[in-house]
Order: sequence, then structure tokens, then C-alpha cells
Amino acid sequence: MSACTRCHFALEAEDLRCALCGLGVPHDDGAATATVRAEILRCTECGAAMAYSAQAGAPACAFCGAVTKLEALADPVDQARWKGPFAVDAATARAALTAWLGSRGFFRPSDLASASTVENLKPVWWPAWLFDARAEVHWTADSNAGAGRSAWAPHAGRCVLDFRRVGVSASRGLSDDECRWLLPGYDLATAVAMEQPGAAEPPGAIVERFDTQRSAARRRIAETIEATAAANVAERFVPGGRSRNVKVSVLVDGLSTERCALPAYVLAYRYRNGVYRVVVHGGDAQRVTGDAPLSWVKIAAVVLGAIALLAVVVAVVAASGGR
Amino acid sequence: MNAAPSSSASETARAVAVECRNCGASMELAASARTAVCPYCALPSVIERPATRDRPRPAYALGFVLSREVARDRVQQWVRSLGFFKPTRLRRASVDDLRAVYLPAYLYSAVARTRFAASIGENYTETETYTVTNDKGETETRTREVTRTEYRPLEGDHATFVADVLVTASKAIDNDELEAAEPFDLRLLRRYEPGLVAGWTAEDPSLTQQQCMALAREEATTKVGASLHAFMPGDSHTGLVHQTALDRESLDLVLVPVWVLALRYAPNAPPLRLLVNGQTGKVAGRAPTDWVRVAIAVIVVLAIVAGIVALATSLSPGSTP
Ligand SMILES: [Zn+2]
Repeated sequence: MSACTRCHFALEAEDLRCALCGLGVPHDDGAATATVRAEILRCTECGAAMAYSAQAGAPACAFCGAVTKLEALADPVDQARWKGPFAVDAATARAALTAWLGSRGFFRPSDLASASTVENLKPVWWPAWLFDARAEVHWTADSNAGAGRSAWAPHAGRCVLDFRRVGVSASRGLSDDECRWLLPGYDLATAVAMEQPGAAEPPGAIVERFDTQRSAARRRIAETIEATAAANVAERFVPGGRSRNVKVSVLVDGLSTERCALPAYVLAYRYRNGVYRVVVHGGDAQRVTGDAPLSWVKIAAVVLGAIALLAVVVAVVAASGGR
Repeated sequence: MNAAPSSSASETARAVAVECRNCGASMELAASARTAVCPYCALPSVIERPATRDRPRPAYALGFVLSREVARDRVQQWVRSLGFFKPTRLRRASVDDLRAVYLPAYLYSAVARTRFAASIGENYTETETYTVTNDKGETETRTREVTRTEYRPLEGDHATFVADVLVTASKAIDNDELEAAEPFDLRLLRRYEPGLVAGWTAEDPSLTQQQCMALAREEATTKVGASLHAFMPGDSHTGLVHQTALDRESLDLVLVPVWVLALRYAPNAPPLRLLVNGQTGKVAGRAPTDWVRVAIAVIVVLAIVAGIVALATSLSPGSTP
């Protein structure tokens, strides 16, 4: 694998131009000529002269219909090369769910943990891109620092950010919110090659395939870099306590991406008549995210209680005022 | 065998003759031709020339996607949708003379570093008191919330890659014309090979690389300048000025597919040139305005207004007949 000479983006073998900065990848097909020459393209089937056909998108022979295959346009769907190892087994995942259900707070049904039954438990590897990059970021923003009559004052600045192993979800099965919650919990130093058998892999784990073409994947990664840079700038670089309109221009240097499969358990549990989904991290059973039913009885009780309290207060105030 | 250039092999593009590989006949090549058809045996050739600075070998090509029929339909649609103030003859003009050309263009990219200054508007609300006279004729003081803007100066930098800037390399088609037919889908870009242009008209650059570089820099700077507006904070901004330095530039020759049509619609008017994007079918061209039709419309409107005024005057009670 080579790198772009301008931005050091890691290029794939099929790339004609750098996907990040647009620099052409040098190529010598040995077609240099010292004299002016006229070449006729011959059909390899019948020897007739061929011409490019717009319908075929390739040279075609008008006589025998043969179409010369051009090198395929390279926009493949790339698959994972690395996987994060499973460190949580199925029994631990179930226990994690029960513990999670028991700690959902006051507004959940009291019997949530005891009355729920696990209907389905699936170990999965969900797809994600991980990238490393260094970015020169120029930003502008409004913040309360130095504000005059308006609550906001404009600011601008520059910083250099290093991104290490930042994850971008490529999963269709898991929601973006679920992935955001899961991502920080992976110890990516322990990732191994996809083919390598893992020690504690649960049987029947499903590998969710990447289904995004390379060009779309790169766009998504570029968007993530920009969004992450903006979040970083807002948090660390804009002066003052509050900011808005954080805009960034990002000059990325040395972007490299890896495709990873990350372990998780997807569980479905039934509580009364509803089925809810929960995802348990495959490397850290403390990380659980998902849906849980609300106890409408408790919510109604609290609302009624509040109304009653309010009524009492009003009555007291009215009584004291009338005296 | 291969024909030697008939003229001196100087840098300038002059007509040369090459030998047809099929029948041996001599073909006179137009100065910027990259393809030719033998006048005797009708076989299509692709020309290879020694690469020079101003006429490098194309690095990439985008293949034609649209057939002549589809391109003609697009032109007909475009002509039919012209407004009332365009010459009616345009609608009747023949659109059969469409020519397919692989147009030489340069794909430019660079690092753009920009220094900007602007006045940033930050809104705030103020409570304002004002007085009105009420129904009873008394003066009353009231308050209202008004939004005002406080302008603050801001200076800063912006840095980005500009990629995908495409500029013409042909004297025949100017850059604005090409831009009107853009965008091209650059995901379909292929490395140039003769098979992509065989049997079609393809041209070599007729502008120098320096001229094209100047066009590209201008387009890149404009592009950055346009994106700066979205980079400004605040509720509004004015007086945005910027200075862009382009660095680490690259320029690659690419052949792009266009259908060209010179629409002849009046014996005394110059033909209207249309460009059809050979990939997307986008039609670009500026139809002239028919000033006679505009004048007639203005006269008709004036006449109607005059009529109404006259009518109103004659009907109004104060008027004396
Ligand atoms: Zn690059």
C-alpha cells in the first residue's frame, strides 16, 4: 500500500487519485512515444476495427459484437480485516442484562428484572472503520467570552488535532446511538486478524458485513473527522464557557483507516407484552445500552402527587391571603 | 511504418500527416486531433504524439454514457422549454447536427490557505419604549422588543484541499461554457487508454498549460471564497475579504465527453452553441433574447395600462367630459 505524496492518505491499489486531496497517483503505462503514430484498435475475436461504445461503456466491435472489458471501476465494498476479541461470554451477557434491568431507576416497573425473560441472544461482530489522522484545524465560533451587548462574540483560531483509533460505525443492524455508546469500550490494541481464531469466541457469532462502497465509506469518515474536530474545538479551544456556530476547516494529514469487526451481544427480552432490545458490549459487560419499558402507573402517581401538592399550596396561599 | 511529422517537430501544434495503419493512406491531422478517420478505408485511428509540456498525454478520460439519440432528446427538451422572450425560430431549428467530442480539460487540485477578515454581526434584543396616541386621543407609552445587531471585526485563517476543479484546455470551448455543463461524475474516471476514445472525436489541448493553470487558480480561489461564507460565525456578516494562497498544486489532463451543437436558427444571427454533458445530459447554452418580442410585450402592457388609466379617468365623478 502506498501513500499520497501530498496528504499522506493511505491509498488502495486501485486508486487513480487520492480520495482525500485529489492528487493523481503517478502511473506509467509505457505509452510514451517519440513520433506521431496512428493506432487502430483491433477486435481480438474477428480483427475488425473497434470503437468505443457509449452503451457498453467500453470498446465494442461493430461486426462481431465483442466488447473489450476495461479494467473495472474500483469502488468495492471492503470487508473487515481485523476483529476485536470477545471477552464476555453469553452467560455474563445475560447477567449483565439482568443487572442493567435492575438499575433502570424509579420510573421503570419494579419487577422489570424479575419478570423479564430473555427471548433471544445473538453474539455479533458489527462493522466499523477506525482511523488515525493528524489534522490542522482552523475554526471560527461565537462564544460568551468578550461578549458586548450581544451574548455572543466571534472568535477564530487554529489547532492541530491528533486522532487515534477513532471509530465510525458502518453497522446497519445497530443504531448510531448504540454504536457511539459501545465504541469507547473496545481495547483496540488487542484486535487480531479476521481469519485468526479467537480464544473466547461464542459459537455462532454473526459477522455483519460492510455494505458501503469505498467512496461512500471515505465520505463518511471525512464527515466524522470534521464533526469530531468541531466537537474537540468547542470543548477545548473556544474561549469562554458557552459556544455556538463552531465551524471548522480541516486539513488532514496522514489519514489511515482500518476496517474492524467489533464484538457485541444483541439481546431481546420480553416484559409483559412487549419485546425490547438491549446491546451488551462484547469486551466489557458493564457497557449495556437499550430499551426498557416505563412504568406508567408510577409516572401517573407522581404526576397526581405533584398536582395534589400544588393544589394544597394554592389553597394555603389563598387561605392566608384571604385572612 | 509510423509516419514522421511532416512539419518540424516543434512544440507548437501544427498539422501533421500520418499513415493509416490499415491501408497506408496518408491522413492529414488537424492540429489538435487525438483521433482520426482514414478518408480511404474509413477506419478509426487513435493518435499518439510525443508528450510535451503543453500537450501531455491524457492521464484520465471519462467515457461517453449518452448516445446521440438521448443527447438529441435532451436538446429538444431544452429548446422546447425556452421562454416567451427567446426567438421562436430556435424552437424550429434542427438539432441533428450534434457532434460528440472528447474535450481536453485539466483536473486541478491544491492546498488552499486563506486569510480572511470580516465584520461579524451578533444579534441582541433590546426593550424599546415608544409612544402612541390611543383611541381617546391620549398619548400612551408602550414597550417592545427589537432585534439589533452588533458588528465585531474578525480575522482568521482557513485551510482546505481543493480538489475536482475542472477547467477547459481547448480554445474552442471557454471555461464558463464548460462550467455550465458541469458537474461530471468523477467517480467514473478511468485511466486514459485509446479504447475509450476510438471511433470518436477527441482533441488535444489547444491552450497552454500556463493558461489553464491560471484558469484553474481562478476557479479554485472562487470556490474557496464561496465556501468562506459558510465558515463565518455570528448571525450575519458583511465585508468579507480574503486572500488565498494555493500551494502544492497538481494538474492532470483529462478527456471529458460533451456533445456540441451549433444551432442555426436565423440566417443573419450567429449560431447558438449548446454543450451537452455526455455523462449526465445536462444542456448548457445561453439563448439570446428576442428584443422584438420584448418590445412588443412592453408596448402591449403600456397600451393596457394607458387604456385602464383612460377608462378610470373618464369614469371618475370629478372629471369633466
Ligand atoms: Zn492526498
